Amino acid sequence: MIEIVNLTKQYGDHVVLNNISATIADGEKVAIVGPSGGGKSTLLRCLNCMEEPTSGEVYFDGKLVSGLAPYLHDELIVASKTFKKVFAELSLENPAMSEEDAKAAAIFKIKAEKLLRKNEGSAFKKEFSRIEKEIAIDLNIARRDIGMVFQHFNLFNNLTVMENLTLAPVHLKLKTKEEAEAKAMELLHRIGLYDKKDAYPSTLSGGQKQRIAIIRALAMNPKVMLFDEPTSALDPEMVGEVLDLIKQLADEGMTMVIVTHEMGFAREVATRMLFVADGDIRESAPPAEFFDDPKHPRLKEFLSKVIKN
Amino acid sequence: MQREWELFYRKFITYNGYENVLNGLWITVQIAVLGLIIGILIGMVIAVIKMIPKNKTAPKVFSFICDIYIGFFRGTPIVVQLLIGYFVLMPALGLNLPNVAVAIAVFGMNSGAYVSEIMRSGIQAVDPGQLEAARALGLNYPTSMIKVVIPQAVKNIMPTLGNEFISLIKETSVVSFIAIVDLTKAFRQIGDSNYEYIIPYLMLAAVYLVIVYIISQLVKLLERRLKKVDRNS
Repeated sequence: MIEIVNLTKQYGDHVVLNNISATIADGEKVAIVGPSGGGKSTLLRCLNCMEEPTSGEVYFDGKLVSGLAPYLHDELIVASKTFKKVFAELSLENPAMSEEDAKAAAIFKIKAEKLLRKNEGSAFKKEFSRIEKEIAIDLNIARRDIGMVFQHFNLFNNLTVMENLTLAPVHLKLKTKEEAEAKAMELLHRIGLYDKKDAYPSTLSGGQKQRIAIIRALAMNPKVMLFDEPTSALDPEMVGEVLDLIKQLADEGMTMVIVTHEMGFAREVATRMLFVADGDIRESAPPAEFFDDPKHPRLKEFLSKVIKN
Repeated sequence: MQREWELFYRKFITYNGYENVLNGLWITVQIAVLGLIIGILIGMVIAVIKMIPKNKTAPKVFSFICDIYIGFFRGTPIVVQLLIGYFVLMPALGLNLPNVAVAIAVFGMNSGAYVSEIMRSGIQAVDPGQLEAARALGLNYPTSMIKVVIPQAVKNIMPTLGNEFISLIKETSVVSFIAIVDLTKAFRQIGDSNYEYIIPYLMLAAVYLVIVYIISQLVKLLERRLKKVDRNS
């Protein structure tokens, strides 16, 4: 469903994610946990390119949604001016080397030393756009299928609940206004907030806002849902209602990725746990193994602090 | 004072000077209102252009053009802009517009430069999460701005826009430089007719004061209503 390849995210010199690769399969419920500032939210936000990766690629349904990373495509490197130069140099230095080997060595060297420059000639440009055309999909199209729920809800303050739910489906011409409203009513009934359909977000409680934010994403019929600490900004008494709704979605088979601090919930709902710390995925395991038999020392330390009893 | 009042009364009522004044008032209001509308449109465009992420060449170029525009209109007096518009640009472009239209265009463009900054701060005051949520649903940047961010920004800047309108009304008093008979010019003509300026100019100030007072009350009312919407809705 989602695949990230050699993803690095930097803010200036600060490396938040360092060369991460991971795959999220159809139907999986992946919970990402880890210490604050470890990069878990950034990782989640890279999945739908809310954060543009510094290098590396993100695929959704086999289609490239991030920018094209030249170092991941050998056929692209071969088309570059730098390759010609490096290849000639290597061949000259080792006349005995076969052409195949020299080619492989040149590609390896370019990747290892990040030798590609801004302008690599027209052949490179042509190859770049050919590959892009072949594998990439428009990010805005991909995002229609990737629902996202934020820590701070981010309901549109200038629109009523109903307008919040119908804006995107209607504007993107996925549904007519009537269809979108019917779907919205069905979803509102489901979460028991039908009577709030004409209210503005500022009158709702945090729990109500977050549940509406979740069904706003559902109104697009997404293939996968991303949750960015969905309960962190809620009063304790409202956490339950939101987690219940997420759990329902999980039981219905929705593919989801959740960044959370709710360990009990993660253990119950997730099919796989990811531990992200210091910019890397330190551990990836089913919940039982993750909690009962952690391997990485950093995870052991984390769990001992988080689970007190 | 008796004599001054009599002279003013004779010119203002008996010789229908009030008609001139009312016409002048109408022109002043026209220039200010249409100028503000044009200013808001231009200001919105500039604000949005300046806020587009500048990772490509096109936004950089547009943004640079906007900087020049703002620099010119904020860096030269409005009178100079009026004179250039009327005596330089119009002949150069071979246009023959009525001078009120030129004044509206110049005041619109001038206020666009100021409104763009107001708009920009208004847009920046909107929680970035609002734009993120719209983009995450697959809406593109312009749609997200138009449907979600700008409506909230406009609400934020309503009071400031009201103040911009007030200063616009006052600034229009210089349009007689390009031979427009606005409120100021109309009163001045009354004074010119008998070289007696005391009453006409005091009256002129009073009329501006009343207009500004009315507008500022309307702005206050608007502000209070917007706050109420925030609380109830």
